[in-house]
Order: sequence, then C-alpha cells, then structure tokens
Amino acid sequence: MTARSPAAASRRPTAGRSARVAPERASLPSGAGEGAGLYVHVPFCSAICPYCDFAVSVGAAPRREAFVRDLLREIALWREWREPFDTVYLGGGTPSILGAGQLGRLLDAVRSHLPVRDDARIFLEANPEDVAHEAVSAWRRLGVHTLSLGVQSFDDRELRFLGRRHDAAHAQGAVRECVAAGFDTMSLDLIFGLPDQSADTLRASLDTAVALGPDHVSCYQLTVHEGTAFGRRRARGRLVEMPEDEQAARYALIHQVLARGGWRAYEVSNFARAPRHRSRHNMKYWRHLPYLGLGPSAHSFDGARRWWNHRGIEAYRAALDRDERPVAGSERLTREELALEALMFGMRTTEGIDLRDFRRRFGVDIAARNRRFVGDCLESGLLERAGDRLKPSTAGLAVADTLAARLEL
Amino acid sequence: MDHVRNFCIIAHIDHGKSTLADRLIQACGAVEARQFRDQVLDDMDIERERGITIKSNSVSLDYRARDGELHQLNLIDTPGHVDFSHEVRRSLMACEGALVVVDATQGVEAQTVANLYLALEHDLELLPVINKIDLPAADVERVREEIDQDLGLDPFDAIPVSAKQGLGIDEVLEGIVTHLPPPRGERKAPLKALVFDARYDAYRGVVLYVRVVDGRLASGDRVRFMHTGREYEVHEVGLNRLRREESRGLDAGAVGYVITGIKTIRDVSIGDTLTHAREPAEAPLPGYKPARPVVFSSIYPMSSREYGDLSVAMEKLALNDAALVYQKDSSAALGFGFRCGFLGLLHLDVVQERLRREFDLSLILSAPSVLYRVQLRDGERVDIDNPAYWPEPGAIDSVEEPYIRASILLPEKHLGAAMELCREHRAATLGTGYLARGRLEVSAEMPLAEVLFDFYDKLKTVTRGYGSFDYEPLDYRPAEVVKVDILVHHEKVDALAFLAHREKARARALHYCGQLEQSIPRQQFKIPIQGAIGAEIIARSTINPFRKDVTAKCYGGDVTRKRKLLERQKKGKARMKLVGSVEIPQEAFVSVLRTERGR
Ligand SMILES: Nc1nc2c(ncn2[C@@H]2O[C@H](COP(=O)(O)OP(=O)(O)O)[C@@H](O)[C@H]2O)c(=O)[nH]1
Ligand code: SF4
Repeated sequence: MTARSPAAASRRPTAGRSARVAPERASLPSGAGEGAGLYVHVPFCSAICPYCDFAVSVGAAPRREAFVRDLLREIALWREWREPFDTVYLGGGTPSILGAGQLGRLLDAVRSHLPVRDDARIFLEANPEDVAHEAVSAWRRLGVHTLSLGVQSFDDRELRFLGRRHDAAHAQGAVRECVAAGFDTMSLDLIFGLPDQSADTLRASLDTAVALGPDHVSCYQLTVHEGTAFGRRRARGRLVEMPEDEQAARYALIHQVLARGGWRAYEVSNFARAPRHRSRHNMKYWRHLPYLGLGPSAHSFDGARRWWNHRGIEAYRAALDRDERPVAGSERLTREELALEALMFGMRTTEGIDLRDFRRRFGVDIAARNRRFVGDCLESGLLERAGDRLKPSTAGLAVADTLAARLEL
Repeated sequence: MDHVRNFCIIAHIDHGKSTLADRLIQACGAVEARQFRDQVLDDMDIERERGITIKSNSVSLDYRARDGELHQLNLIDTPGHVDFSHEVRRSLMACEGALVVVDATQGVEAQTVANLYLALEHDLELLPVINKIDLPAADVERVREEIDQDLGLDPFDAIPVSAKQGLGIDEVLEGIVTHLPPPRGERKAPLKALVFDARYDAYRGVVLYVRVVDGRLASGDRVRFMHTGREYEVHEVGLNRLRREESRGLDAGAVGYVITGIKTIRDVSIGDTLTHAREPAEAPLPGYKPARPVVFSSIYPMSSREYGDLSVAMEKLALNDAALVYQKDSSAALGFGFRCGFLGLLHLDVVQERLRREFDLSLILSAPSVLYRVQLRDGERVDIDNPAYWPEPGAIDSVEEPYIRASILLPEKHLGAAMELCREHRAATLGTGYLARGRLEVSAEMPLAEVLFDFYDKLKTVTRGYGSFDYEPLDYRPAEVVKVDILVHHEKVDALAFLAHREKARARALHYCGQLEQSIPRQQFKIPIQGAIGAEIIARSTINPFRKDVTAKCYGGDVTRKRKLLERQKKGKARMKLVGSVEIPQEAFVSVLRTERGR
C-alpha cells in the first residue's frame, strides 16, 4: 500500500481532513445539495447462491456478533466525516440475518458517531427466510424506511436453480407480511435471464409481483461471473447463457408488464410506483454524490476520490485491530474518469444526460462529438432527445453499457 | 577424398537432431570446443559467427577413425521442414549419406519417412540411429522392427545412442566413416561447385556455401555462375569450422565457404553451379530451379503506426532471403503494407513467423493468390496477382492460371480419402505407384491456387500425418477466374477481396460472410455482409443490431470496476478499422483470413 492511501492517512487522523476533501468544483453535478449516503455491508448469508460474487460467507452466530463489534469499531474511526448522511443502507450479504438487537446497536452507533440527519431514510435488505412477524415489527420499530426483499422469483424451479433457501409460497407470504407492516417503501428483487427461462414463467413471476403491490421492484439480469459456481459450470459447458435476442425480449417484457401495473423504470434494473419510492440511496452512486461504505469490500466516494475496504473479513479485522481504517486501496478520479462514469450512469438511467451540464462539468459536448452515432441512435429509437437531455429509451437502457462504450468523450 | 564424408541428419522434429549434432561437434573437437565456449561467453561477434556457421549451414569436423586415419566429416544442415523440399534437396545434393535419427520412445514418424524418400531419391546412403535410449520408455527392439518394416533399412546397422548423455557417439562417428561412402569426383576435371546456401555478413558481404563436385576452387580464381552468367573474383575460400577457417583451396568432394565480394544476396541464385571463367565446365549440375515467386499476399501491420517497423523488418529479412520480393501496397481498410511474393505457402509462413517473432510485429495477411495471366479484349496481356488490379469483367477475353505437378506420398490405406481430396481440388490424377511396402506415390496435375488454402492441412488430416506433398510448376492453363468483393454494410472491404475459380467462389464467399458475422460486434443498425461478383450477390449474412447487454448490478458503489470494464471496451474500439460506418475489429480480418487456410 502506498503512503498516499487513505488508510495510511488515517493513521494520523487530523480532525476533519481525511474525509472532507472538497469535491472538485468542475465535477460537481448540478442539483447537488442532497446529503451523503452511508452504506453498511453485512457479509453473511445462510448459504451462498451459485451466482453470487459478492463478498459474503456463511457466518455462524458467534462470527456475526464478532463482526458487529468490528463494525462498531470502524464506525468510530470515521468520526471526522462531516458530510451529513440522509440515507443509511444496510446491505450485503443478508443484513436481515442479524438480530434486531444487533441492528439496533449498529444504528445507534451510526447515529451517535456520524452526522446522520434526523430525517435520514433507513434501507434494509432482507431475505424471505428471515421474514417473520416478530422480525418485521422490530425492523419497523428501528425506523426502517425501505425494506428490500430478495425474492428473485415466484417459480419454485427457478428458485431451486438459483440455490435460494425459500420457495414461492414462502416468498409470497413474506411479501404480504412486509406490505402489511406498512414500510414507507416496500421493494422486491427479481432475477431474470435464467438460461432457459421462458417468457411465460417470467411473466407469471411478474404478475405475482404486481398483484402483491410493492412500491418498488428491482429486476436484475442474471450475470454469470468467473469464480462463481455458475461460472465454473459455464466453463465446463454445463451452463449456457440465454441468447442475446431472447434476453432483449425478456427485458422488454419486464418493462411492459411493470409499466402496465404502474411501475415506471428509472434505471436499467429499477422500477418505482412513484418518484418518491425511487432509491434515494442508490441514486447517489449514479449522481456522483458522496457516500461512505463500511464493512468488508464496501466502497466510498467523496466527490474526487474513491476508496474501498479489504474484501476478506480477516484483513478487514486485522486493520481494525491496528486501529486503522480497513481501506485496501483508493484512486483519485481524473476528470476523464469522472466523465466516463457520468456517461455510463447517464445511459443507465431514464434521466439520461443533461448535455449542458455535462459540457459544463467535463468540457465535452456529447451530442456534437458523436453526431453520427447519436443520429443513428435517435433514428433507431435507442436514444431520445428532450430539450438538453439525451435519454436512453427502454431499448436504449437494454444496451446502456454498449451506448456508453460507443459514445466518445 | 577417401577421407572425406559429407552427410546430413534427417529426423522427425524433436527426435534429437540438434542434440546429436552438438555431440558430434563436441566429440571431434573437444579442446577446440572448450576454448570456443570460453570465448563465446565474452565475445558476441563469435556468437554471431557461430550462428552463421553452425546453425543453418555446415561444419567440418576432424575425426581420427579406429583405423588411425584422420577423416574430415562435413555435417550439412537441412531445413527441418520437408515441405520446403527445394531447400532440402539442395542440401541433400551436397551429401553422400545421411543419419536417420529415430526417437526410441516414439518410433518412426511421418517426417522420418518423408525425409527418407527424399534422401533415397538423391541416392544417399543411410545410417539409422536410435536416440534417447536413456529414457525408461525407450523400446529399442520395437524401433529396430520399424526401421526394418517402415523404412526398409537394415535394423542391424542401427546404432543405439543417447545424444543427451553422450552414449554411443563414437559408434556414430565410426559408422559415418565405415557405412557412408566418400565423395566421388574428378579433381582434374573443370570446376563444378554447387552453391547450396548463402548468408549475408555485415563485414564480408555475401558468403556462399558450396560443395565442390569436380575440380578445385581457390582464392584468386575467377568464377562464373553458370545459370546467371555473372562472374566474380574469389577473395577467400575455407572450411566452416566453429568459425570460418581460411584455406588455400577446396578440392573435389569438399564442403566449404567462398567469399567473392558479392554485395547483395539478390545477385546469388541458390542451386546454381560455380565454374571457372576461363575453363568452364560443359554443363551445370542438374536440378537447378531459379527461385521465382508463385504465391502472393499483402502484409499489413495490425496497427498502422507499425508500418515503419514493418518496413525495416522487411529490409532486414530480405538481406538473407533472396527469394522474398516485396513492394509497397496500400489498402483503404488496413492502411500501408507490402505486397509480397513467396516461393510457396511455407515460405510465406516462414516469413510471417519471423516478422512476428524476431521483429515482434502483429500482422494481417491478405488471402494468398497465384499469378494469373489475363488476356484483354484489346489484345494486351497482363499478369495479375492482386485483386485490386483485376480488370472489369467486360474487358477480359480469357484467363490462364498456373498448374503444378503434385506428388503425394502416403500409406496405401489412405488412398481413397486422398483421391477424394484431389477431386475436390480440381486435380487430375495421372497415376499411382508403389514406392515401398504399403506406401504409394500419387501424381496429379492441379491448379496451384487449389493448394493455397486448405489442401495441405486436409491431406495431413486424411492421412493421419503420414502424407507428404511436393510439387513443381507445370504450365499455365485456361481457367474461369472471377474477382469476389466482400461488402460490409454495402461498402467494399478492399483487403478482403479475392480471386477465385468461379466454381469455388461461392463457397469461399460464404465462408468469409460467416466468419465476419462471428467476429464483427453488433452495432446500432443491422449490417448486411455480402459476397459479390460485380453486381451479382453470391453469398450473404447479417449481423443484427445490438439488443441487450448483460448489465451487471452496480452494487455498494463499486463503480471503479464497472468503469474499468468500460475503459477496456473503449480501448478495444480504438483498435477497430472503420469501413464506411461499420467498425471492424482487426481480429475479424485475422480470423477470416487465417481460418480460411486452416478450415
Ligand atoms: N532423454 C533424452 N532426451 C534427448 C536426447 N536427445 C535429445 N533429447 C531431448 O529431446 C528434445 C529435442 O531435441 P532436439 O535435439 O532439439 O531435437 P530436434 O528437433 O530433432 O533438433 C530436447 O528437449 C532434447 O533435450 C536423448 O538422448 N535423451
Ligand atoms: S443472498 Fe445475495 S448476497 Fe447472499 S449469497 Fe445469495 S446472492 Fe449472494
């Protein structure tokens, strides 16, 4: 590790310096003024899904308790953070694997050591197997604003393929329980693009979701990563990803069914029943707003620099044992890198890119620079123009990464 | 002359030819070799010279035989590749005998057999050597049987050795003296010396490697190349020891070097006969063929920025490769490059391999072509190898293409498959004959163009590696030849155009379209890919527009990883060639043109 990394810097914490690097003026997105986001990574799951490439492991109760203590130590090391948080996101892994008492201690520590606004929204990811009446009431009491439930599918065969620990009936019950509990925003996660997922089974899952009436739906495409069980199956030819044209058709189907039910897309994989149900926390990532990530593998950003924690829990803990922030690496983003990220996010969200704002921040006129390509895309309907905004259509969102790769800076 | 032996070593690759050669050299000059090695460590010039002397030519060794007589053994290297049989033949012509090395664990293999036939054709005496007997898997008795059965050589002559451990090396040296014949030749007759190789030396100009057949060659002589008629004064002659060792003269039977002040290798014809200008021999040695390019292809650097490097590399290669001809060429899709002429497909492979390895260049090669004779309506005749210069069909009266006489050696059991292959490649078989037990020779006449693509690989496949193939140019015969354009999104891609026999045009065009479909990434619009003869579309395929990315979740703010992926994608894009409005990755050119040969 170089002496310039935040971890090294943190050995001599100077009040208010290490984290409050003033974001560079030019790179500040317009409409900033919102608070920062706080993310807490809980790296445990009851079992590991065969497609998962997150930093997770199966942690028995004593390991979980030890980890909660680690987190409390890490929180204390960030006392100098000044940017007020208006979101606190408990993600993972499966944070719902922690008991209500543990979650309560975490939130208390966060509130007492860090500048969390009173009206900050609390997000909690939960898996259906952890949903029970007791637990749900406890989450409500803890002030959870958005509950995000990892349902993935309402089809038993698909759930088995995905290695999930619940069946469709249990998932439905869990959603009902959470909806009834009256969270401000009830969200559920689905996965599509399983190798032989038919349009019918996908539609059936979507219909069930719609009927249960959540406020927000995330619908992720199955991604096969190297180093996962699915990745190894693919390498041996035992798992073949869905062909591109079918993926596209499934993706269009999702938009169609959810739109009919009243859920409008606002990002590649995210749909909300009303703008207020959009994920205020995730949007910070996409808008280059500051965020602090705690827990193994968590990433942080202060407007100019991004840094990330050790991925392995051992290395993470070892740093804390030395009274150091468990930071594994960092980068200071150049203007070009920030521009590329802004472009990438722009193509992933229905907001698209504000061309004038982009020109102001990065000195590039995207539309003029890519006249021919943008022209092609407007004509074929991948992009739309609304005043100063260049926005991906539904078909455009489907190829967001390609659009970002093709657009030149 | 009775105390001279000229020999080479023939072997299947990896059977130990180089190791055995090193051992023989060591055994004959122990002291010298030690001095030599000590010197090598701090004398780069010698290292360079050693490369010239030993690696690819000949070396003269002194050996005191068991009868007490001192013998001079000239080991002449042969190019490893029988495919390049002209070169092998020239080396074989300089020898009277050959060691046939067979790996004791592998036994007789395809190249052993193919080489053996070439050697027999030149009436060489053969001495089998069974190598690698130190290995536990060595099975000397089985290999003896194969030497008897498959090679038709006397298994009792075979000498078991371990080149690696130095076992049996003395027996080999003794065997060379007792089994291989000395050269025959007339010292008093007019000079005839075979030029079997030549190297460019930065200090001395061109160094010729010769085998004196008759007469005597000495410094101060005025010599003439019998085929080209050029005359030169001999500055120096000598033997190839570990370094060049000047001597007063080379007598009939000797192998050595000659320096005459020739400045460029292009003035030398390998295979030519040297004689005295004043008292010339009546006729040159037989078997001479001038090196004439018959296969043509354009070579482009993968990145146009490397054109300068390619240009320098071509010049350097040409210093030692007289057969390589080239001139500047340019393509709208691929930028500047060189149109090159080669002796054959293997020569092409060798050149591109050396450009890649020795000069670290990434290349794109256009489809190889032969030289067509085109009779125009206006009475003019033009020779064309480059599709870029093919006349409008309306202007062409008739076309002729080069034919070859092919000779295919193969085990009898693969005859059916080989005949089928010949038919597919427009070959007319002239006859078949037995060479040895179970082994046949098929001779055929066929268009050279048919050999340029997959013929050779297919032959290897259908004969399980035991088929060998050789050819010689025959004549030109009428052919129906067309130019096929490849269009991507309605734009012609000049580097992909090719000339083909009309019957073959469609299949090849389909192959191109299919390959491009696989290797051009989807773009924002539908891309038709077409093969066309003039306005007539003969093949097509389509690339659909991109429709769905596998957009991974951007979790926990790990934006860096995602951005890096995107940066990589953008870099890949920078390496694309823009044709019209379509970006074609260089790999697409490479894969189309390469798979065509290996299909
Ligand atoms: N064990 C063993 N290995 C050998 C012997 N002779 C050669 N080799 C090895 O076989 C490989 C090929 O040898 P080389 O002389 O390069 O073969 P060439 O391709 O015929 O020139 C090398 O790895 C040698 O070290 C031998 O007598 N015994
Ligand atoms: S529940 Fe989520 S975090 Fe846990 S293993 Fe499965 S995919 Fe990974």
